[in-house]
Amino acid sequence: MNNAQQTARVGLFFLLGLALTWVTFETLSDGKVFKDRGYILIAGFESLKELKQGDEVRMAGVKIGSVEQTRLAGSRRAEAVLRIDPKVEIRSDATASIVMAGLIGTNYIGIDLGTPTAAALKDGSEIRTKVTPDINAIMSELGNLGQKLEGALNSITGAVNGDGKTPGLFQKIDKVVSDNSEKLTVTMTNLQDVTAKLNKGEGTLGRLINDPKLHDELVATVTEIKTAATDARTFVTNAQAIIDQVKSGKGALGALVFDEKTGTDIKNTVANLRAVSDKISRGEGTFGKLLNDDTIYRDAQTLMKKANTAIDGLGDSGPITALGVVANSLF
Amino acid sequence: MACSPTRNPFSHTESPAVGVSIEHLSKKFGSMQVLKDISFSVDPGEIFVLMGPSGSGKSVLLKHIVGLEQPTAGRVLVDGRDASLEDTREHVHMALVFQAGALFNSLSVYDNLALYPREHQVADEAGIREKVMRALQILSLENAAQKSPSELSGGMKKRVAIARALVMEPQLMLYDEPTSELDPVMSATISEIIATLKDEYHVTTIVVSHDRELALGIADRVGILMGGELVSLGTPAELKTPKDPRVAEFLYPKIDLKNPRFKKLET
Amino acid sequence: MNQITAILEGIGSTIQLLFRAASYTPSLWRQRARFIDQCYQIGYTTLPIVAILSFFIGSVLALQAGYSMSNFGAKQFIGSLVGLSMARELGPVMAAILLAGRVGSAIAAELASMKVYQEVDALVTMNIPPAKILVLPRLAAVLVMMPVLAIIADLVGWFGGAIISKYTQSIAIEPEAYFSVLRRFMVFKDVLNGLIKAEVFGFAIVLVCCNIGLNTRGGPREIGASVTKAVVVSLILILVLDYFVTKALM
Repeated sequence: MNNAQQTARVGLFFLLGLALTWVTFETLSDGKVFKDRGYILIAGFESLKELKQGDEVRMAGVKIGSVEQTRLAGSRRAEAVLRIDPKVEIRSDATASIVMAGLIGTNYIGIDLGTPTAAALKDGSEIRTKVTPDINAIMSELGNLGQKLEGALNSITGAVNGDGKTPGLFQKIDKVVSDNSEKLTVTMTNLQDVTAKLNKGEGTLGRLINDPKLHDELVATVTEIKTAATDARTFVTNAQAIIDQVKSGKGALGALVFDEKTGTDIKNTVANLRAVSDKISRGEGTFGKLLNDDTIYRDAQTLMKKANTAIDGLGDSGPITALGVVANSLF
Repeated sequence: MACSPTRNPFSHTESPAVGVSIEHLSKKFGSMQVLKDISFSVDPGEIFVLMGPSGSGKSVLLKHIVGLEQPTAGRVLVDGRDASLEDTREHVHMALVFQAGALFNSLSVYDNLALYPREHQVADEAGIREKVMRALQILSLENAAQKSPSELSGGMKKRVAIARALVMEPQLMLYDEPTSELDPVMSATISEIIATLKDEYHVTTIVVSHDRELALGIADRVGILMGGELVSLGTPAELKTPKDPRVAEFLYPKIDLKNPRFKKLET
Repeated sequence: MNQITAILEGIGSTIQLLFRAASYTPSLWRQRARFIDQCYQIGYTTLPIVAILSFFIGSVLALQAGYSMSNFGAKQFIGSLVGLSMARELGPVMAAILLAGRVGSAIAAELASMKVYQEVDALVTMNIPPAKILVLPRLAAVLVMMPVLAIIADLVGWFGGAIISKYTQSIAIEPEAYFSVLRRFMVFKDVLNGLIKAEVFGFAIVLVCCNIGLNTRGGPREIGASVTKAVVVSLILILVLDYFVTKALM
């Protein structure tokens, strides 16, 4: 083989390569050689989401074209250029939306049928669009929600269990109880003492509770107070009479104390006295309550019971049990 | 320099023959000392024959002169330039005739000869043709021009190799075992060619050989290399009666069947 | 330790050779005859085997894809699978492997024998750098020819897949459908990626084989060793480079 022939073959071979590359390029990128002709529609969206060049355009589920190009139009809009099969007419009131065909991100543009009477869209015109919820948005909402929930749960867990550095609620209580278990035991023992004394009627309160005689005495006392009050009333009436006399200027005292201020003071004193006695008889005020009400008695009884339970529980000794008992009985 | 200008057959510009001086040259391959502190010099226009038994380091020394090997110590100067630098080959035309010819097997004889002038663009294609044919003529190879190297006999290969060296218009010709593997007549022919080229074109010539006839026949001086050392340096006349017994043994071995040498070799 | 030194030495000398060859680029026009000759050796004579192999690679891809994809009713996507695999991966890799076997071994053998028979030394004494007349034309030729081989491999593979898809009963996909899917899921960038890959592979193979050939030492026996080494190193290099080039082009 001579040189010229070899050169020619190499040249031919290279040209073949160029030609094949060009054909491949045309076929895959422009589609001018093999792709069907069709007319162009522009669909503007806020976001094209996962839509890409080459995705299908379907009308009522039937493929009628493809996305030829995706591009930005201005700063707030993205456009998809759709090449539509020339045999298909799209009504001017048809709307296009980006539809997801699957979760893995295959999208297509779905166009509805529109009303048959409306005019057909022309080449290059713009089609109406609507926004459909985006799976990504939904997913990210769900994600956010999940995150918040998790955050809340975490802080609860943190408060209860501690986050490793600062101890949680239960740890704190536990610590308090276990640190003070001795003191608590002493307290409880004291309480036991107290209640035992109370039961045996020792001490004032014990007697108060256990001694019916004392109760009677109390009642008697009250009766006496009542009597005293009645006497006081009488005294007041008498005093009134004296004051009247004084007012009218009778006697030296009247002259001495004939003075508005003194009179008012005395009046107030009397009024107070009355109020006190009224309250007492109605069972108001501390003393009144003590006298008239059995609530205190019952409260004392409840306290005793609780103390008992606490002491029983303490027999098991462990700090957690102690905690539980204290928590249960005290709160 | 006491040398007459070269009458190069291929060039109108006359480039003088160059001298070579070797200064304390040592070469190690790994731990093997191949050359030990060798010093000598070759005058411009001289034929220097380097002899020695096989494995004495002759070819390695030759490769140092042409720059194919880098010295471990010492240096080789060709025309005052360090032979190990690539630059030297730009300034001094050196041609090495390899032992096996080293012809380019993929090229015809003609293209083998034409490669150098073509690559260095010394002339146009017609000029190159003229040079190549002249070189082939000198070596009586006109008819082999279009042959492939693989079709040539051993003697022809050597002659083509010499012709190829000649086309380079060398100032220094180096021959590596030019007469090995050749019959005695062909060896004599090659020796005559070497001497003729030197006489006619006054090119410095270094021949590595263990061909005694060649050395004594054409050399101006002979150096003998043994075990990497230069053991003798002198004129052929001096070598006719060598003083060193090793040199005598090497140059004039007696075949002694009663006491064969291989029995004396160390095991 | 010696192995590591040898590998590093190999890398170093390869890079040196590349720079040395590149420095003679201006002489390429004067060497056009050699360049055309290498183009012929590297491109034209490698074409038949590349075409045959690519055809069957494409066919087998289609068969295997048809077998596995019909399990989940996706066999209509065979076109895109074969198309992408051929263009992005198998076309260039197969072309490169054949180049290593056919051209790389030849380069290593030729240069190794030139080295062993002292032709390379002769070139050096003639002040003609081997990198200039032995390496540069080959590198230039492979750069020009490799994309051609790769694109042919791609297309032949695609057609192989299409033919098998049509005539295999269990697949039975019409070429129109096959190519329509292929077109839908491919862009020219996929093909271009493959061509760039092929270019990188081809260049590396030729450079490495040249270097190994030129670094042959010893007698004729070493020629064979060099050829083996050149092919093995080339194959390893193809797969290693494949990873990095794919990554870089992602």
